[in-house]
This record gives sequence, C-alpha cells and structure tokens, in this order.
Amino acid sequence: MPQLNPEFFVSQLFWLAVFFTFLFVFLWRVSLPRIAIVLEKRQIKIDENLSSAKELQEQAMEIEKKINDQINKAKLETDEKIKETINALQENVSSQLSSLDKDLEKKVSDAEKEILKSKDDQMKNINNEIVNITKLTVGKITDIALSDNELNKVIETHKGNFN
Amino acid sequence: MAAKDSPLKQFEIDPISNIELGGYNISFTNSSFAMLITVLVITLFLTLTVNTRSIIPSRMQLISELMYNFIAQLLSDTVGDNGKRYFPFVFSLFMFVLIGNMVGMIPYQFTFTSHIIVTFALAAVVFIGVTILGFINHGIKFFTFFYIPGVPFYMHPLLIPIEVISYLSRPISLSVRLFANMLAGHTLLKVFAGFVVSMPFFTGVFPLAFIVALTGLEILIAFLQAYVFAILTCLYINDAYHLH
Repeated sequence: MPQLNPEFFVSQLFWLAVFFTFLFVFLWRVSLPRIAIVLEKRQIKIDENLSSAKELQEQAMEIEKKINDQINKAKLETDEKIKETINALQENVSSQLSSLDKDLEKKVSDAEKEILKSKDDQMKNINNEIVNITKLTVGKITDIALSDNELNKVIETHKGNFN
Repeated sequence: MAAKDSPLKQFEIDPISNIELGGYNISFTNSSFAMLITVLVITLFLTLTVNTRSIIPSRMQLISELMYNFIAQLLSDTVGDNGKRYFPFVFSLFMFVLIGNMVGMIPYQFTFTSHIIVTFALAAVVFIGVTILGFINHGIKFFTFFYIPGVPFYMHPLLIPIEVISYLSRPISLSVRLFANMLAGHTLLKVFAGFVVSMPFFTGVFPLAFIVALTGLEILIAFLQAYVFAILTCLYINDAYHLH
C-alpha cells in the first residue's frame, strides 16, 4: 500500500506545509478580505436602499394621508354646500309658496267680496225692478198708488221666497 | 511497490524533481504537483472571480461568495462570534480538501487526500491548535473537559479514560475518515475500470455505466468529506471555548 511507504512522508509533509501555508496566507490576506469588502459594500447598499425605500414609503403614506384628508375635507365642504343650497332652495320655495298662497287668498277674498258686492247690487236691482214692476202692475190693476216704502216692506216680508 | 495493474498503483508517489534538503528527501512529486494545482485553482478562482468587486455579482463571483458565506455560516452556527477569527483557517482547510478531492476526480490526476500522512498532518494541525486554544482559554481547567457532569461518581474512573482516549483519537478519526473515503472510492473506480477492459465484447458497458454513476457519487463524497472535515474542525474549536 503506497500510503504506508515512508519514503515520501517528509516530502509530502514539506510540500503540504509550503502549499497550505501559502494558501492560508493568501486567502487570509488577499482573497477573503476582497470578498468581505464586496459583501460589506453590498450590505451597505442594501441597507441604504432599504432605508431610502422606507423613507419613500413613509413619504408616500404621508402624501396619501394628506390626499385623503383633503378628499374628506372636500367631501365635507361639498356636503355642507349641498345642504346649504338645499336649505336655501327650500326656504325660497316655501317663501314663494307662502306669498303665492297669500296672493291667492287675497285674490279669492277679493273675488268673494266682489261676488258678494255684485250679488248685493243685483239683489238691490232686482228689488228695485220688483218694486217698479209691482208698482206698475198694482197701479194698472187697482189704480192704487203704492209708495216705494210700502212696497219695500211687503217685499222684505216675502224676501225669503225670492232667495 | 504495487503491481502494474493493481488498483492501488494510482496512489503511488512518483518524484517529478528530486530535491534534498538537510539530508531529507523533499522531492517535488505528483502529490506535490496535485497540491500545487489545487492551490493555483483556489487562489486564481477566488482572485479572478472577485476581481471586479461588483456589487451585482457575476455567476463566478457568486460561487466565491457562496463558498465564503457557507463557511462563515458554518462557523457562526457552531462556534458563534468567537469563530470569526478562525474563519480564514477553516475556509483554507475546507477549500484545500474540497479542491484536492475534486482535482483527484480528474482522470490520471493524483489525489493527495488519499494519503494518510497528508490528512493526518492536517488533522494534527487542527488537533494541536485546538488543544493549545483550549489551554489558552481555560488554563488548567481545560482538563475538566474530560469530566462529564451529572454522571454518578463511581462511573468517572471508567468515563474519564474513555473521554481522554476519545479526545486523543480525534486526529486519527478525522484523518482516517477522509483518507479511507478517498482510498476506497478511487480503488473502487479503478477496479470497475479494470472490468470495462477485461470483460468480453460489449458487456464492458455495464461496469462503465456503473463507473459513471460512481463518479457522481465520488464527487458528492468529495464535497461531503471536505464539509465533514470543516464542520468537525469547527466543533473542536467550539469545544475549546465551551467545555462540558
């Protein structure tokens, strides 16, 4: 078995020591620090990006909050304005309706008065006509001259029958 | 020397250039060459892929970073914050064993991790280092590591020697595990490769198919053994900080 042949033990140990020591020192002093620097730089970059991303996210949230606040404020203002407008319109409509009602009432009452007045006038005219007709009729039939007062009294007593 | 067609022949060490220093044979061999290739692959890969140092990594840079994070996570999970200072060592160990195993998977390449002397030397470095670390951290109290609390007192004469033996056998288990896995895997591959040639007509296709599957398994084992070596090193470091 060649592994147990001591002829090259020293040689193997010597070259192992040489190469392994060289490898160890080279990796320790050159290669590993380079990799470590790269990894460190990357970690710093990642941390920076993460922190800036976090900052931007916070800013975005702040802006979103502002926008939401403004939207809410605008909504409230709009609601308020809509309410005010509705109230104003309602008041306007109700005042116009009430004035219309008043006008109508006045017109109705005026018309009623007019009607009553014309009714009275007509009634008076009718009375006069009745008096005249009655006077003429009685005068022609009986030659009795009746005064207006007497006729009026008679007509008054029979007024219920005319109405 | 193994026979010409022996499956163990692949583990023979052939000197490329004969060198002697202070009476010792320190020839540059095929094993040393495999180590050189391993070190070159690791250093060049980790240097060139991270050369641009770009924040958005390329695919190759990502592989380097994944390896870095893999071992960093391993150390952090097993040892905690104390483990950071041992990161270069554990990373070097992991990469050396991993790429050493992978280089061994290339046909006609030598697998230096299949030599017990190499794996034992690595395990011994870990063992000695961890023991020194234990004494630095705890002084003489480090010996309480062998004392298991909560066990009936009459069990201690039995348990303490077991603990000591268990502790002392750590470098052996650590090194033999890696060495045996590599040895067995490569021997098996060679045995089946022999069948491909020796079996008549097209029946050699079957062992060839098996070799293909086995190569996949061996690559998995190559990674797994490097991982096991690294994680056990981390656990031993953890023991040096936190006694029972």
